[in-house]
Amino acid sequence: MCGTCGCGQPGEPRLHHHDHEVEARRVVVERSLLEDNDRRSEALKKRLAARGIEAVGLVGGPGAGKTALLEATFAALGPAVAGQAVVEGDCATDHDARRVEACGARVAQVVTGSLCHLDAHLVEHALEDLDLDGVERLWIENVGNLVCPAPFACGETRRAVLVSVTEGDDKPEKYPAVFADADLLVVSKLDLLPHVDFDLERCLAGARRARPDLPALALSARTGEGIDAWLAWLGAERS
Amino acid sequence: MTVHETKLCLSLLALASEHLERSGGSRIVALRVRVGELSGVVPEALASAFPICAERTAAAGAELTLEPVPGRELELQEMEVI
Repeated sequence: MCGTCGCGQPGEPRLHHHDHEVEARRVVVERSLLEDNDRRSEALKKRLAARGIEAVGLVGGPGAGKTALLEATFAALGPAVAGQAVVEGDCATDHDARRVEACGARVAQVVTGSLCHLDAHLVEHALEDLDLDGVERLWIENVGNLVCPAPFACGETRRAVLVSVTEGDDKPEKYPAVFADADLLVVSKLDLLPHVDFDLERCLAGARRARPDLPALALSARTGEGIDAWLAWLGAERS
Repeated sequence: MTVHETKLCLSLLALASEHLERSGGSRIVALRVRVGELSGVVPEALASAFPICAERTAAAGAELTLEPVPGRELELQEMEVI
C-alpha cells in the first residue's frame, strides 16, 4: 500500500502520485462554494417575506456611518420605528445595538469575535432572539468591512453599501466585489464634502464598473441632507 | 490566512467530500476551482488555507488549482479521485 496517501496502490511511498495519473478518475462537480450559504439566505428571505418583512442589508467599512444612518432613518420614521428590527454584527461590544435600541428599534446583537462578516447562518441564530411580531423591516448591519461580507448573502432582499466621503473616492475601484452585489451605493457624511478631496463622480464611476446599473445617492445622517431620497429608495415615509 | 477564505475552504471540502462519496472514490488527489475576480475571494488566501483545512480529510495532500475567471463565480469545477 502506498504509505504516503494510503490509496491501496502498490508503489514506493516516496514517489507519491506514482500511479495516480493513470488511476485517478475525473469527477465533474460544477457547484458553488457558496451554495450552502445561498440556500440558507434564500430560506431566510422566504421566511421573512411570508411574514411581510423586508430585510435590508447595510455594508460598509468601519466608521462608514452605517449605525448613524440607521439612527437618522429611525428618527425620520417617527412612531413607525416600532416596526423596525435590527441585527447588529460587530467583532466586539454591543455599542451599536444600544444606539439603535435607544431609537426605539428592536435589536439582536451578534458578536462575531474575529469573524469578519455576517452570514445567513449567523442571522438565522440572531433571529431566535428577536420578536418579529409587528416588524415590517429587518435591518442587517454587517460587520464593518468592505471586503469579506461581499460573497455572503444574509437573507436580505436588498443590500446598500456605504462609502463615506472621508474614506476616499477610490474605494469602489479598490474593493469592487462588494459593489457587484449591491443594490444601492450610499455616499455618506456628505456634510464633510467641502473639507475633503472626494470626487462623487469618480466614486460612482468606480462602483458602476462593478455593477453598471447601480443606483446611488448621497446623504448626511448628521444634517439630514439626502435622507428623503434614501427613504424613497426604502419605500418608507417620513412621519 | 483570513477568516472568510478559511470558511470557504471548509465549504469547498464539504462539497468535495460529498461528491467523492457519490463517485465511490476514497481520496481526492486534485481539485480545480474557478475563482471570479468579483467573488470577494483572494486566490492566494484560499490557496494558503487549503492544505491546513484539508489535513486529515480525504483531500489531504491534494493539489488545488485555482483558475481566475471574470465575474462573481466561485465554483468547484472538477476533481480527480482515486
